[in-house]
Amino acid sequence: MSEQRIIAGVYHLSKRLGRHFSLEDISIQIANGEFVFLVGPSGAGKSTLLRMIYMDDRPDAGQVVVGPHVSTRMKRRSIPDLRRRIGIVFQDFRLLPDRTVFENIALAMKVTGTPMGEIKQRVTEILTHVGLYHKRHDYPHALSGGEQQRVAIARAVANRPSILLADEPTGNLDAMATKNTLELLFKINAGGTAVLMATHDIELVQGFGQRVIFLEHGRIARDRGMVYVGDVRDRIGESQISRRAQQLRGHDIPDGDQ
Amino acid sequence: MINITQLRYMLDETAIMLGRRKAAGLIAVVIMGLSLLILVVFLMVTLNIAEQIGRMSEEMRLFVYLKDGTDQALAGNIQYRLLSLPGVEEVSFISRDEALAELEQMLEGQEDLLGELPENPLPDAFKVKPKPESIGAAFFERTAAEVGKWDGVEDVRYGQKWFERGERLVKGFFVVDLALGLIIFLSVIFVIYNTVRLTVMQRRRAIDVMKLVGAGNTFIQLPFILEGALHGIAASLLAIALLTAIYIFSSRYLPGLTFMRYDALAGFVVFCALLGAVGSYSAMQRLLRS
Repeated sequence: MSEQRIIAGVYHLSKRLGRHFSLEDISIQIANGEFVFLVGPSGAGKSTLLRMIYMDDRPDAGQVVVGPHVSTRMKRRSIPDLRRRIGIVFQDFRLLPDRTVFENIALAMKVTGTPMGEIKQRVTEILTHVGLYHKRHDYPHALSGGEQQRVAIARAVANRPSILLADEPTGNLDAMATKNTLELLFKINAGGTAVLMATHDIELVQGFGQRVIFLEHGRIARDRGMVYVGDVRDRIGESQISRRAQQLRGHDIPDGDQ
Repeated sequence: MINITQLRYMLDETAIMLGRRKAAGLIAVVIMGLSLLILVVFLMVTLNIAEQIGRMSEEMRLFVYLKDGTDQALAGNIQYRLLSLPGVEEVSFISRDEALAELEQMLEGQEDLLGELPENPLPDAFKVKPKPESIGAAFFERTAAEVGKWDGVEDVRYGQKWFERGERLVKGFFVVDLALGLIIFLSVIFVIYNTVRLTVMQRRRAIDVMKLVGAGNTFIQLPFILEGALHGIAASLLAIALLTAIYIFSSRYLPGLTFMRYDALAGFVVFCALLGAVGSYSAMQRLLRS
């Protein structure tokens, strides 16, 4: 077991958004290598909370700490550095339509000024990891939703972030793609990257034994604060991930995929 | 802050942006080029009118008619005195016979009209050419008033009417022209600025993605600024190409038409590049702040 270290923390965070909605007194700490589900119905404030972690927005009260960055004394110009420590994945993938798979992932490394040789090596490595190396020259529109999400995840981990934030990453995907995406996230987590995945799908997260934070009406309703570091798949087995996704989506998943 | 590798990537980004969005870029360049064409055509028309007016005033001469029977000595004296007047460049003598020959030439085909005359009615005269810098109503009025008093001078003539009406007309023309030019200039700037801004706005999402993956402002902005500048240059070259076509075409009907000066055109290209770059930069500022 590796040593526990808090890599991202939210402390007594409050944020008003409009007249009827606010996040109130939210505190969450995420240790390195942890996998955390953030669950709540649509409009519970999950996306807002994530946005505050990657500092696209600032809390009204309380603070967010990610690595050396503290929201209350953070300058605008250090935001790029923060973003390079965090991988972010969305429901709608947010790939650049005029770039190939390779270029989309390479972009994340180009902004840090990584030499081209290193970029090529790393992108090849990640693409192999997510099973899309053969599609490296394709444009996003030629890929399925599941494949696009894998590219987005590959881009998010290109710079080896200490934490990956995923906002409804399976929201647009069918059962099989959901399973593949979850598996991929578990696999990445097994490599030591902490993952915070927001989803409205309560059933999806059950049965994995991971820490689950329930967010309701802008408050933390429950934080099953167990910390388990390691590969989820070792514990529950691939078949269970598959079964869960299948139950949830009501589709058959062919064997031997990926 | 920015290393060579990043700089190279920014140039790559610019190339990707230009290369993969050819249609959008082309439309922007054509819109900008056509509005710039209005501006350069206007400038060329103004230039030609100004030159025409200049040439007309340059051809203005003062005619000093001598009294009948003025002897050579007095005529020589008058010529000498005319030459020493301020603002006079050249004085040439036109004898009455030369004047008649000129008149005959003008009345070509109707020479018989002159045959009716018992003798040559035309006087000897001096043609006074002013120095280019002293051309103007003031010179002609002053000189005519003075020379008219001299011994042996019958009459002094110049294009009085031209100066009375023409000069006011020319002034009026330039005021209107300047106002019109200013309006065209501002509209063209507005069109270009907006076109560039729309080009940037179309890529709002791409900019958001860049921010998400941790791109710094310079990394995001530079390709856009370069793109704006390149669009500006392309648009100005398009405008110049079309202007050249228009020039060649209209020269067939209006020989002697003047084309824009090359250094002015070079300045125009630089100006358009700056306009594109600044437009792009200021559009970026809003997006980056949000």
